[in-house]
Amino acid sequence: MLGLAGVASPAPDIPARFPVWYPLLPYSPEYVAIREAAAIGAEVVFIDLPHHALIEPATPAAPADELEAPEDEAGQAEATAASWEAIAVESSFYQAMAKAAGYRSWDEAWDSMFELGLSSGRHATHEEFRRDLAHFCAAVRATSGDRPQRDGTIPRERHMLQAIRRGLAARRLAPAEAMVVCGGFHLFLDRDDAEPPPEPPKGTSFATVVPYSYFRVSELAGYGAGNRAPKYYQTVWEQLDRRPAAKKKKADEPASPKKKTRKPEAPAGEATEGGGAQVVATDKRRGGAAPDEPPHVDAMIEHVSHVLSRGRRAGEMFTAADAIATTQHARMLAALRGRPAPALDDIRDALISCCCKGRPEEEGRGLLRAMAEAEVGTAIGRVTPALGRLPIVHDFHEQLDALDLGEVMGRDKRMHVTLDLRDDAGARRSAFLHRLVKLAVPLVESAPAATGDGTTLFREKWTLAWSPAVDAQLVEKNLYGDTIEAAAMAQLEEEIAADARHAGATAGRLRASVAMQLPRVVQRLEAAARAAIDEDRRFNSQCEALVHLLVLDRLAIQRDLGRPAIADLAHRAYTRACLAIGDLGALPADQQEETIGHLKSLAEAAVAGDLVEPLDRAAFTDAVTSAALAATVPFMQGAFAGLLAELKVIDPADLAARVGAFATSHPARMVVAGEFLDGAFAVSKTSLLLGADALVSAIDELLRAAPWDEFMTLLPKVRNAFERLHERQRLAFADRVAARYGLAGGEAIAEVPVTSDGAAAYLATLDARVAAIMKDWSF
Amino acid sequence: MAKTKEPEPSKQEVLREPAEVQYRAQLAALAQRDADTPPASWKLSPRSVLAYVVGTAKPLSVKIDGKTVDVPITRKFFGDDALVERAIVTLASERALLLVGEPGTGKSWLSEHLAAAISGCSTLTIQGTAGTTEDQIKYAWNIARVIAEGPRPDNLIPSPTMLAMRTGGLVRFEEITRCVPDVQDALVSILSDKNIAVPELPDANMVFARPGFNIIATANSRDQGVNELSAALKRRFNYIHIPVVGDHKTEVAIVRDRSRELLERYKIPARLEEPVLNVLATVFREMRSGMTTDGTSFPKPSTTLSTAEAIGVALDAAIHARYFGSGAVGVADIARNLVGSIVKEDLGDLQVLKEYLAVVAKKRSAKDASWKEFHEAAVKAL
Repeated sequence: MLGLAGVASPAPDIPARFPVWYPLLPYSPEYVAIREAAAIGAEVVFIDLPHHALIEPATPAAPADELEAPEDEAGQAEATAASWEAIAVESSFYQAMAKAAGYRSWDEAWDSMFELGLSSGRHATHEEFRRDLAHFCAAVRATSGDRPQRDGTIPRERHMLQAIRRGLAARRLAPAEAMVVCGGFHLFLDRDDAEPPPEPPKGTSFATVVPYSYFRVSELAGYGAGNRAPKYYQTVWEQLDRRPAAKKKKADEPASPKKKTRKPEAPAGEATEGGGAQVVATDKRRGGAAPDEPPHVDAMIEHVSHVLSRGRRAGEMFTAADAIATTQHARMLAALRGRPAPALDDIRDALISCCCKGRPEEEGRGLLRAMAEAEVGTAIGRVTPALGRLPIVHDFHEQLDALDLGEVMGRDKRMHVTLDLRDDAGARRSAFLHRLVKLAVPLVESAPAATGDGTTLFREKWTLAWSPAVDAQLVEKNLYGDTIEAAAMAQLEEEIAADARHAGATAGRLRASVAMQLPRVVQRLEAAARAAIDEDRRFNSQCEALVHLLVLDRLAIQRDLGRPAIADLAHRAYTRACLAIGDLGALPADQQEETIGHLKSLAEAAVAGDLVEPLDRAAFTDAVTSAALAATVPFMQGAFAGLLAELKVIDPADLAARVGAFATSHPARMVVAGEFLDGAFAVSKTSLLLGADALVSAIDELLRAAPWDEFMTLLPKVRNAFERLHERQRLAFADRVAARYGLAGGEAIAEVPVTSDGAAAYLATLDARVAAIMKDWSF
Repeated sequence: MAKTKEPEPSKQEVLREPAEVQYRAQLAALAQRDADTPPASWKLSPRSVLAYVVGTAKPLSVKIDGKTVDVPITRKFFGDDALVERAIVTLASERALLLVGEPGTGKSWLSEHLAAAISGCSTLTIQGTAGTTEDQIKYAWNIARVIAEGPRPDNLIPSPTMLAMRTGGLVRFEEITRCVPDVQDALVSILSDKNIAVPELPDANMVFARPGFNIIATANSRDQGVNELSAALKRRFNYIHIPVVGDHKTEVAIVRDRSRELLERYKIPARLEEPVLNVLATVFREMRSGMTTDGTSFPKPSTTLSTAEAIGVALDAAIHARYFGSGAVGVADIARNLVGSIVKEDLGDLQVLKEYLAVVAKKRSAKDASWKEFHEAAVKAL
């Protein structure tokens, strides 16, 4: 995590923060170099330019919403520092070579030229491999034009050169006594370049080791420098590792072939694959490929068997004969394409040829999914405890294990968890997950519905998914406390202080503290909520508080909490909300919709009577009646009238009469009839249908009475009002309109005589009646 | 009276020669320069078969009748070369090959060229229909002679499959999914055991396939559901899906090359110029996808607008121009012949074409003379 002063930031006093990941897989060259160095006692020095040195400062004119600090993976910032492979692909040398050789992708070219060359003995020594690669890189670099000048490669190389020179000087070493592991492209950096490298911006950087996953380092995850098949290459790597004879034969050489594996610069993450051992065991039973076969053949057999078994698990009918046909096909394809052993491209083609019976994207969908899964893998790495962990990270992993949730950290897959809160384990898991939500730890992908309705009173459904940001966020939250509980509590207290006078927010925190099982905070929050409810005069805030408290009351039944205290708070919030209704009569248009939602929830609370001591319904109806008289905004007048009708304080016919009154009013008043109707429809549904006949008559009168200009003005709001209704409700109104105009509606139409003459006559009658009605219409 | 001499059968002019005759020079050149060992009974190695189908960058320099000549190896199949590689490898393996795709995507064309290059004979063909019988797949008898002499090897009429088995060659099975399932299943034992039993001949009751024998079948993906292959038969085939040509450049190249060949065959001295081909390929590609290159969308017709259909339009336009026009093929000739290609069974396609003309072609006609000519002629034809 990097805190960089003076770079893109939402405000001058807030330093910008950029998280950057440098993922490693077991076969990443950097990781192999580190391990080999540790084995021989060599010192390791990182020479690449830190990624944040290439982050461009923000331009002063940039709007605030563009100043979000981006999350970036080291190789992903194409604009600032492209991977050398991206440069290589654009070089004219590579393009001409790929065309001549028939390579369809960079990966295919790389595997054919270098990966397979290593395992099949095309390069007898590592020096041969190195020389071959150096020639290739020299040709690529010479034909890359000015791309390295534009994409940040040159500043990186300046930094590398400086780091190498300084490193050698500080240790008084001759160049021959050190070894540089870098992308082949950088072998040819300009050693006479006198320009200094860029200085990284000042700031504080924090580094930690976190788990990473195969999926995250794959191209499928959108990682620019991604590996196209991390799990497949892991299999190849393991096969190379199982060749002790070959290793012994070449013991005199400077490094084993595996040390120069693919993607010299590709960041990757250490990962373990539990399923791998199982597949290998199967392979050993079968005997695998002949001992003198290239390791890629063994890897292919293992991979194909893995793909087909995944496909079978998903319901595909793959047989052992398919596996045999596929491996034979892949080997023949490799031979046809001039490769010593099958590359991944040959295996993919062979799988599609032998196992897909039709169009790959249709009939072969299951196969393609199995191929992608087997190529990418789902393993997630684990950080060794020997490295030491921040207390909160340690606590997080301990709790995951204790609560039997560790599975989510073992696979890069979604995990759906249903918790029964009556069960102790379920309650503890729930509290833990609620605490993670509070800390914004992105392990929780979806939390239970916030409303706490009946279906989730005793049961919670969670979706969990691991991401590398989990550890990063935990590291961030370490500032709040050493454990998840302590950090959640500290964060909650910070939030309480920030919005102490907001009744809704404070009641929400109270509810969260109960869900998180933080009893010490619950008591404090109860007092804070009481004070906030007493002080807050905002209608919406009080309604929010009431909703939270009603949910809490239901939780209290299940968790054996003190219901009277909650009921007391709810009564306070309810009363204050009712008192605040009088302020809503002149509400501006932009606040109306939100307020209507709160008014409806308040009305529901008034009639529900769920609390130990029911809420005073009369207080609500009185407040609405008074507000209806005092309201000046037509929309709110309609809303209050609608509410009163819904609560049966007024008759639906009375509501219709209020609409009808607009028909005889002054045109200036008539034009706001639509707003009144819109307000009424926003809160009322049942009562409208009960008085639908009267309402249809009233609206009809209104529309008939309205002169053209007034009609056009009120029309949009009338339409808006009807659009609030459900389709079935609209149809019910349409039936009433049809009945009013003497059109029989659905039943009558269904009775159309079946003979064509009779039907024609009947339709002609209907037509004539409609025409007569329309004749009376004035427009 | 002078007697008219009948031409020798081999020198008779034929409307369409099989690929191995038409491209014999290329096949001979590839065989002469073949550096690899071909599989048993194959005329060429897999690499040379691939070169024959996808062409080579440079002509092959070979000796014919003692003289060194350069033989260009032309591309026969336009599309993904990896498909061809997969097809060749399949034919060298245990499994048979089934080419699946929309009508007009070149399945039979590829099948013919593969058979020509691999076994030097593309004419051992079974045409699958609803009336195809098991006899046509295995063998039949000369009934008259059987009545007179009883079943003898001489009285047996071998099927193309049996002939291919005897020579280690390839048999082509066109439109396999048009055959009823019982008949299709006759292939199961042929593909598994690589032999045909002839129980009527006690002394010669088995015909074993020689190495190299295999089957190339084709199936129209629109008909696949009609008589879908049984699971047992599916297992014995590798399916290769031939997609409709997606990119403009390739489609223009296909239409150009195939039209030229066909015009030569029909001896029509006409040439399709590049602007004409461009308009034709653009119309087909856009109508097939229901979207123009600049993102305007419109309904797609129900007809399959394959590249073969585009070639048909080009040929019709050339014939029309030759016999009823000036001889030069213009965009207007294409437009006139396009209507019948697009509007076949479904009259709704007429509306689709009208919409394309109104929304796309008319807009382009304001800036481009070719499109103006196309639009006017198509509207007139409609």
